[in-house]
Amino acid sequence: MSANSTSIAMEAPVEMQIQEIAFDGQETYAPSLSMSENLTKLAQKIDFAKCGPEEVNKEITEINRNEDEAEQSTAPPIWPWDSVRNKLRNALTEVSVLADLLTIAKGKKYVVLDPVPHDPPELKPMVMVYARKKSFAGAASVLLSGAERLKNSLAEAQKNRTTTADFHIELLRLRQNFRLKKVNNTIIGDLSYFRSSGSKHIHSGTFEVTKSEEEPDKLLSPPCSPNPNSANKLTSALRVTVPGELQGIASIKVYFQKDQDSLYSSNLNTPDTAFSIPEIDWQRKLEVAQNVLFCKEMFNQLAKEAVQLQSPIPHVVVGNQIIASIFPGVQLVICLSHMEMSTDGKASLPPPIPRHDQVLEHTLHQLLRELHEKKNYPLPHPASAPLGPSRKRSCAGPYAMDREEFVEMTESQTMLEQVIQQAQHTQLRDRTLCILDKLATQYKDPLISVHWLWLNSPTYACIKVTIFAQGYDEIYRNLVIIHVYDTYLKCISRDGKVVHLSYESMELKNYILCQICRHQIMAVQYLAKSMGWQCVANSFNLGSGTLIETFGNASSCILVSPVGDRLISIHCDQNSRVQVSVAQTPRKDFFPGQLVKERKWENLGNSFKEVQWEKMIGKNFLSKMELLMTSLTSSWMQ
Amino acid sequence: MAMAQQTVNTAIDSLTAALKSNIIPNQEYFLQGSILDSSVEVLLHRLRGLCDNVDTNLETFHDHEMCFSIRGPNNTQPLQLRVRRSLDHNGMPMQLRYIGQPEIGDKSRPTVLRNSIDIGTSNTVVEFLTELGCRKDFEYSAKGYMFRKGRMKITVFKVFKIDETRKMMSSGGFDALSPLTHSYLVELSVLAPSGQDAIADDMRCFAEQLRPLVQLEKIDYKRLVHGP
Repeated sequence: MSANSTSIAMEAPVEMQIQEIAFDGQETYAPSLSMSENLTKLAQKIDFAKCGPEEVNKEITEINRNEDEAEQSTAPPIWPWDSVRNKLRNALTEVSVLADLLTIAKGKKYVVLDPVPHDPPELKPMVMVYARKKSFAGAASVLLSGAERLKNSLAEAQKNRTTTADFHIELLRLRQNFRLKKVNNTIIGDLSYFRSSGSKHIHSGTFEVTKSEEEPDKLLSPPCSPNPNSANKLTSALRVTVPGELQGIASIKVYFQKDQDSLYSSNLNTPDTAFSIPEIDWQRKLEVAQNVLFCKEMFNQLAKEAVQLQSPIPHVVVGNQIIASIFPGVQLVICLSHMEMSTDGKASLPPPIPRHDQVLEHTLHQLLRELHEKKNYPLPHPASAPLGPSRKRSCAGPYAMDREEFVEMTESQTMLEQVIQQAQHTQLRDRTLCILDKLATQYKDPLISVHWLWLNSPTYACIKVTIFAQGYDEIYRNLVIIHVYDTYLKCISRDGKVVHLSYESMELKNYILCQICRHQIMAVQYLAKSMGWQCVANSFNLGSGTLIETFGNASSCILVSPVGDRLISIHCDQNSRVQVSVAQTPRKDFFPGQLVKERKWENLGNSFKEVQWEKMIGKNFLSKMELLMTSLTSSWMQ
Repeated sequence: MAMAQQTVNTAIDSLTAALKSNIIPNQEYFLQGSILDSSVEVLLHRLRGLCDNVDTNLETFHDHEMCFSIRGPNNTQPLQLRVRRSLDHNGMPMQLRYIGQPEIGDKSRPTVLRNSIDIGTSNTVVEFLTELGCRKDFEYSAKGYMFRKGRMKITVFKVFKIDETRKMMSSGGFDALSPLTHSYLVELSVLAPSGQDAIADDMRCFAEQLRPLVQLEKIDYKRLVHGP
């Protein structure tokens, strides 16, 4: 205790609790509690559920202090903790019982816990109704506001679908097909394809995308469905501006031209009327612009090759035309026709192209695409191999290719060469077709049947020509196989002789006529064999003599009857005119003269007498021959 | 005989001329990175968009690489040679590769530069190397995808361990491969003659475009070896 502290005595107040007040005002005091009783009372107040250990400690010290004081007082100690102890013991019992009960209930074998029904709380119906009404009102207002918003947006979309599409949705669709980039405030798109396809033609084709505020009904947006029949009524919110040199429609026109014709005459026929290109949607516009770029690249490539190639007649590149000669007198013209828009929005037609060959145009497109693909080197396998060389070249080392093979691998044909080759083949094939058709219609006696093999390539075709006589095709048929290449024909005849003919069509005519002639004589020989006659002499190349026509050949043969008394001499010339003469042995008019004395010389036979062939009965030459041979044979039997 | 000698001389002459004039690509510039299996699809989509050949399908490859080494007579550093063959394209020749020490350089050099000599060989190269005295150090199988952009080659592949016990089977053990990690290795490489350093900057720009997905950077192996 410090010096400044004061001792304080603490006592309970002396006042005593009033137990009872009598009617006369007399107060009866309850006996004051003794110290121990007081302590008991306090101990009973302790709520063991609430107090923590420190509070318990505090209270215990308080109680201890009280206890000490109580012990110092004179009252005999009845143990004041008895009630506390009893309470604790009861609590312990109850808790252990509860614990046991819970463990047994957990096992669910002997005891099961069931909820005890509570008394339902007192209902106040009106309050509940009002509360529910309020909450419903709140929920309804939220739903209504949401529905209102949806209705508004739907109505707007409905309105917009019939007129304009949204700019951003259009932009999204545009981005699916073309590369777009935002530069400052404008959106720039890229039409070039050299990065994605391997082309080396670097041309910056950019286009600009803007919103279309004014004249919204002129621009169209591409149709949503690929159905070509659905009418496209949508107008677009997007406007695409294509650079000037890529506007309009371009295409490559390919056609043949003979020396005498010139194109200048067709220029005069250019009509002066112009027409306006109808408005197309932006997708098609961009595709058309990209096509212009592609056609320009193709023309550039062809022009470059035309200048570099060395050919006997040099190729001419003039303006937008490339003139290459394929045969002397026939030229292939490739021209880039670009239908550009003039400033007043109207387009002028280019001069009309005669007989544009679409197959060759398609070939050019294919060749350029192939060129692009070849420049995309294949990826190396295994992965660590170098990226550059093609598959063949990377195999060249390990598979020990020799120099010749290697050089052969590096040589390749340029686009122009390939196109010229195809054009040459086309021309040659057409010429062959013409000649064969003409001959087939012209000659009826031996029939000519032409069969083109369906298996062919752009530079090769094969024809089978059969020459036969009607009714006698089992006796003899002459076959000629003609292989049509680009600048020459290879003809293989029935006896195996191979002849190379050039592109001059008269050579083919000559050859076929020779074959026809040959057929006649060979057929007669076979016919004769089947009838017992023998062929004594034949000659297939008698030439054309002094006749004016120089095509074809004449051939002849001499047949002798089975007995040997009749001779038939047949001469067939290139126009299928036949001269048949008959001779007889022994001579009927033999008279031994001064020089020729003996009888035996009558067997030499007399001179030949010509048969009037037109008066012979028979459908064709062979049938007439058959009749002649029959009649001459049977005369002996008589 | 004289003509044959003459042709041999000109062949050697042309080879030396080629070596001198710096047209043989014997340097490799490369960057490496890795990406977890779960994000590989995203990377592949990105690469398909960035690289050439948009319209062709993804090019896959499955290669088997064996690493041989031979010690010199004076117990010098062993020479390492790698033989790589393609398992899915059987007709392609095997590649024999020598890779020199990588030069990391400093910050100014964006990529790792190393000597690299590739040559195509026939199928007998393994026997040949074994006869020379090389011993096989290790082998692995790589399976993945390949892209190209201009001169750059980008490969995304997974390294697989080859099961030695199944090697005797007809498939060579390549049907049951166990991956070494749960990630893919991404490599960006260019083969160029020496002195063309400008390509390294292009490579770095390209690597920047892949940046949040995969970080392609110079990896110093020496530091990895001597690390903790």
